Amino acid sequence: MPDELQPLLPTGATVPNCELPDGTRLHELRGQPVVLAFASIDWNPAQVYQSEIFTRLLQEFDAGISSLEARTTTWHSLDWHSEAATQLGVTGQRALLLLDEQGVLRWQTTVTPGQEIRPGQVLAALEALRPPMSVTGEAPAAAGGVSRRTFLTATLAASALLLLVGASTAAEPVAATKNHPPMLPTPPADTVPITLTINGKTHRLEVEPRVALLDALRENLHLTGTKKGCDHGQCGACTVHLDGQSALSCLTLAVMGEGRQITTIEGLAQGDDLHPVQAAFVKHDAFQCGYCTPGQIMAAAALVQDKQKRSAAEIREAMSGNLCRCAAYPNIIAAIQETQTA
Amino acid sequence: MYPFQYQRATTPEQAVAAVAKVSGAAFVAGGTSQLDLMKEDVLRPSLLVDVSPLPLKTISAFEGGLRLGAGVSNTAAAIHPEVQARYPAVSEALLAGASTQIRNMASMGGNPLQRTRCPYFRDPAQPCNKREPGTGCAALKGLNRVHAIFGASTACVATHPSDLAVALAALDAQVQVTGPGGTRTIAFPDLHRLPGDTPQQDTTLVPGELITSIDLPSFTGRSHYLKVRERASYAFALVSCAVALEMDGKKIRRARVALGGVAHKPWRVPAAEALLAGKKPSEKLFRAATEVAFADAKPLEHNAYKLTMGRNLMLRALLETSGLQPLQGPAGTAFAASVGGVGGE
Ligand SMILES: Cc1cc2nc3c(=O)[nH]c(=O)nc-3n(C[C@H](O)[C@H](O)[C@H](O)COP(=O)(O)OP(=O)(O)OC[C@H]3O[C@@H](n4cnc5c(N)ncnc54)[C@H](O)[C@@H]3O)c2cc1C
Ligand code: SF4
Ligand code: FES
Ligand code: FES
Repeated sequence: MPDELQPLLPTGATVPNCELPDGTRLHELRGQPVVLAFASIDWNPAQVYQSEIFTRLLQEFDAGISSLEARTTTWHSLDWHSEAATQLGVTGQRALLLLDEQGVLRWQTTVTPGQEIRPGQVLAALEALRPPMSVTGEAPAAAGGVSRRTFLTATLAASALLLLVGASTAAEPVAATKNHPPMLPTPPADTVPITLTINGKTHRLEVEPRVALLDALRENLHLTGTKKGCDHGQCGACTVHLDGQSALSCLTLAVMGEGRQITTIEGLAQGDDLHPVQAAFVKHDAFQCGYCTPGQIMAAAALVQDKQKRSAAEIREAMSGNLCRCAAYPNIIAAIQETQTA
Repeated sequence: MYPFQYQRATTPEQAVAAVAKVSGAAFVAGGTSQLDLMKEDVLRPSLLVDVSPLPLKTISAFEGGLRLGAGVSNTAAAIHPEVQARYPAVSEALLAGASTQIRNMASMGGNPLQRTRCPYFRDPAQPCNKREPGTGCAALKGLNRVHAIFGASTACVATHPSDLAVALAALDAQVQVTGPGGTRTIAFPDLHRLPGDTPQQDTTLVPGELITSIDLPSFTGRSHYLKVRERASYAFALVSCAVALEMDGKKIRRARVALGGVAHKPWRVPAAEALLAGKKPSEKLFRAATEVAFADAKPLEHNAYKLTMGRNLMLRALLETSGLQPLQGPAGTAFAASVGGVGGE
């Protein structure tokens, strides 16, 4: 991340006369549309793979208009830490800039590294740049519009998005259409004060609404016993109790935890006395690496509350939401069986 | 996750008004579908209105049937004695779905409205008409093993993932909603829609419409749910089938059959239902019904297996519901619903 981002050039501005890696200067390229694409110079297989998707998207968007003519376009793939990147204000960002024949910036987009390319953004860009067609089907090289040639470049520019930009924030919001809401920069996130009752203790904290209970526990309250496995509700490592029932803290917002009794693995033992499920896990060696164990124990402790005697098959079914990469399953089942009959 | 505003609902009316007036606002109940998709950057609501505090958490008698409040958890509904005794298909569908933790969080209102599990929908890097209209359907020419064989369009071939919804469709449940235009009742089979050329729209609900309850009508027959999945537990259905059978002496008075995992909505098969009515249950009759049910199936490149699997599953569901073949486990449990057994037994 760069320390301070320079402001981006406004659309319609004439770009500075940057030097490109091959020694040419931007002003020497006037008379032809130019696409400048900034990316990390690290190889990224996901970007290569995505290029195919977007090429198809383009072909399907307007098969007729892409022509050989477009090949005359000058392309420059540039390092996002190059001198040119600095001059254009896109240091350290994936960015795509489209210059017209006069060296005027017609369209640009930048994205945060690591974010996904959204096909809808490519489409929105294409639609925004589509020139109004005359009756003959020729695009007018009108003063206000984009010339046919620039449009061709634009379609290419969009296909470069695939390689170079992961979408999210268009520096210049592309005109919205009915199906494609404008891509706006990430709004500043407000925090909200909340009060959580965890293991019988009251905690006051300030979090953004988007913070998961799991992250609030681990990052804000340093209750790191609750583990993050998949972060998507698929592994059970983050299991806690909400009002006495097992629940996934990764799919619960911290703000939604207000007013509920939250119990984590830290709150299970009574002082030095282990919870019976904890003791049984120790006795039966019901873990190897231990990463899934807090979640397994929380799920098991919630399960045995009803004092029902379950068969091994019923325990497996009830515990199927807790995955164990070390496959300590037989010992986990044994520990639970002992606890429920105790 | 993209930032958003959060509001806790105080009354259904307030929740409806809050979502109806803000563009891009959404309800959240258990959050197991909504928050998952927000983490994947598939959904970016501007405002989340949390309906979990609303007093919609009771199961009560209603017009000879049962009213399941929208805030009732999947667990609470599944283990309710009246649900288990009178509508075992509902308990079976619920208990064969997701995991204990997720069932504790998930709600009657949220479950039928969960979004498709089409892997392309869940990946914002892929074109998907449901997520970003106009970008195309990656599944159509991609890997479409888990996709639809009925009612799909060239715009979208996704299936609806809910187990509960299949059982509710077979039982002709009613959905009570309250929205900006007042309250209305929707017959469950009309809640979801086919993709057509607007696959971004899963249901017939308008923005701001809140489900307040799911009503199970009075029903005295037998019902049953069967599900095939790729592992013994904790997986979505490849194909599933719910049957509701009402008898008249030895003859079938009315049969209702809904298939899951095969279409954009729970797929009722009226022609097969008509064939079954008035007849005596037999394997031969049931086989004929499965042929009728799958006659207009249109497989994609990788999912033709769903025709054979679906016919076999529907046959077995009919045999088990009618009693011609025993259930695989106690009625109303995941064991009855799971083809191939659960828990490695
Ligand atoms: C790992 C995993 C495995 C799963 N396996 C299965 C499975 O095998 N079978 C199955 O059926 N499901 C499965 N699910 C899905 C799960 O059952 C659903 O996500 C859950 O039922 C949704 O309910 P919720 O209350 O959490 O809804 P939420 O996620 O809160 O909401 C879902 C949608 O419904 C809307 N909504 C919620 N309540 C209302 C209301 N009252 N009125 C109007 N709109 C409302 C929300 O705006 C949102 O669009 C699985 C989920 C995960 C994460
Ligand atoms: S099947 Fe539907 S959800 Fe899946 S990629 Fe196609 S349009 Fe999207
Ligand atoms: S981290 Fe919550 S289920 Fe995996
Ligand atoms: S003990 Fe290693 S994941 Fe379960």
